[in-house]
Amino acid sequence: MADDISVPEGFGKMLDPAAEEGKAALGRLIERGVGQPVTIGAVVPLSGGASSATYRVETETGCGLGPFIFQRVASAEHHGLPRGVQAVVQQRAGALGVPVAPVIALTEPADGLGDGAVTAFVPGEALAQKWLRMPEYESARAALTKQCAEALARLHAAPLSTWTDLPLSGGSGRDLLDAMFANYLRLGVDVPAFDLAFAWLKPRMPTGPATCLAHGDFRSGNFLVDGRGLAAVLDWELAHLSVPAEDLGWLCVQAWRFGQWRLPVGGFGTREALVEAYRAAGGKVALADIHVWEVFGNLKWGMSCLQLADDHVSGRVPSVERAAIGRRVSEVAADLAYLIAFGEL
Amino acid sequence: MSHPTAPQLLEAVRLFLKEADGALSGRLAFHAKVAANALAIVGRELAQDPDRAEAAALAPYGGASALCERLRSGLLDPEDKALLAAIRTAVLARLAVDNPRYASFSRLQDREIS
Repeated sequence: MADDISVPEGFGKMLDPAAEEGKAALGRLIERGVGQPVTIGAVVPLSGGASSATYRVETETGCGLGPFIFQRVASAEHHGLPRGVQAVVQQRAGALGVPVAPVIALTEPADGLGDGAVTAFVPGEALAQKWLRMPEYESARAALTKQCAEALARLHAAPLSTWTDLPLSGGSGRDLLDAMFANYLRLGVDVPAFDLAFAWLKPRMPTGPATCLAHGDFRSGNFLVDGRGLAAVLDWELAHLSVPAEDLGWLCVQAWRFGQWRLPVGGFGTREALVEAYRAAGGKVALADIHVWEVFGNLKWGMSCLQLADDHVSGRVPSVERAAIGRRVSEVAADLAYLIAFGEL
Repeated sequence: MSHPTAPQLLEAVRLFLKEADGALSGRLAFHAKVAANALAIVGRELAQDPDRAEAAALAPYGGASALCERLRSGLLDPEDKALLAAIRTAVLARLAVDNPRYASFSRLQDREIS
C-alpha cells in the first residue's frame, strides 16, 4: 500500500460485505492490495463496536493468502481519524517496532464498501475478560507489562516529524483538560468527585507542547493477545500528539482492569514494573506524571459514562444500556476519590 | 393484602426478566441483563435514599451544587482532608445503591481519610 494520505469523503454507498455484491467488491479490494487473484470464502461479522464494524474474511484453500480482517466505519457517530490516516499511523508504528496488523488495502469511494481497510489476520484473543483470566494465558500475562512498555517506548521515541504530515490533533495536557471541563459544564450536572478531580488536575496537567504520538486508547480491550503475549495493538483511531505519560496513565485506568484491580497496569502488571521496563527500553517518564494522567484517564472514562447517559436522558438515543451506564459514574467517583485521597489505586 | 408494594413489583419484573432471558439471545439477552441490573439499582435506591445521605454528608459545604461551584471557583482545596472525607461519605452512599459489589466500594469503605 502506498504511504500517501487522502482524507476520505463521499463514502456514501455501503454494500454489505457478507452479501454477494459486497463480497465481490471486497475481493477486488483485496486483489488490489496483494496484487494477485484471490477467491473470497465466508465473510463473518465479528464484534459490533459502536463506531466500527469488523469482519473476518476467509479465502478459498489453495490460494495461499488470508484470512483477512475488514474493518469499516459503521455510523455517523464516528469521531476518530479517517480510516486512511489511521492506517498510515498504524503502518508507521509497525515500522517502529510496535506489533500491529499489517495493512493490506484501503477502500476508495468507488469500492462501495464505506470508509474501511483490510488488514492481515493476526491470530490472538481480543476479549480482555478472557485473556486476563484463562490459565492458558498465564505466561502471556507475565510477559505483557514489559511488552507494552517496549511498544510504547518505541512509539514515543519517534520524533514529532514522523507524524507532522498527518492531520492529527494535539496540544498540551492542560488543553485536553480544559476541553473536557467545557464538555462537563455543557452537560450541566454536578458530580462532586468529578469537580474534585478537575480542581486537583488543573494545576498539575502539563502545559508544554506535545512531544510524541500517543496511541490514545492503549488499554487491555485494544490488544490481541496470544500465548506469548502482545500479538498486536489495535484501534489506532484516537492517535494524537501528546506526551508519553498519557498512554501510560490510560493503561492504568480502573475500567480496563476488568475486575483484576490488584494489578493496576491493565489488570496484569504493576506500575513499578511498567516504568522500569519503559525506562529500560529508552523511554523517559516519572511515576508522578503517570499518576496525574491516571487520574485524568479515570475522569475521561467517567465523562464517557456521563455522555452516554446524557444520550438517553436527553432523548437523543433512548437505550437501557446507555441509561444504566450512567450509574457507573458512581464507580468512577469512588475511584477518583480514592486516587486523590491516597495517591494510588 | 392484595396490593403489591413497589419492591414487590420490582421483584415480579425481575422474575419475569429472568424467565424471558432463556428465550432471548445476543443483543436482547444482553439488554435483559442490563435491565435486570437497573431494576436492582431502583430497589436499593428505594430502600436506602442516597439523596438524603449525600445531602447530609455535603451539608457543611451547602450541598452538592454549591460544593461543585466552590471547587470550580478555586475556593476549596481539593486535597483538604475534611472535604475529601465528606466526598468519600457521599460517594459511598451512591455506590452502595449503584454497585455495592464494585471493588473500590469496600476499599474506600475500609480506609478512613485522616
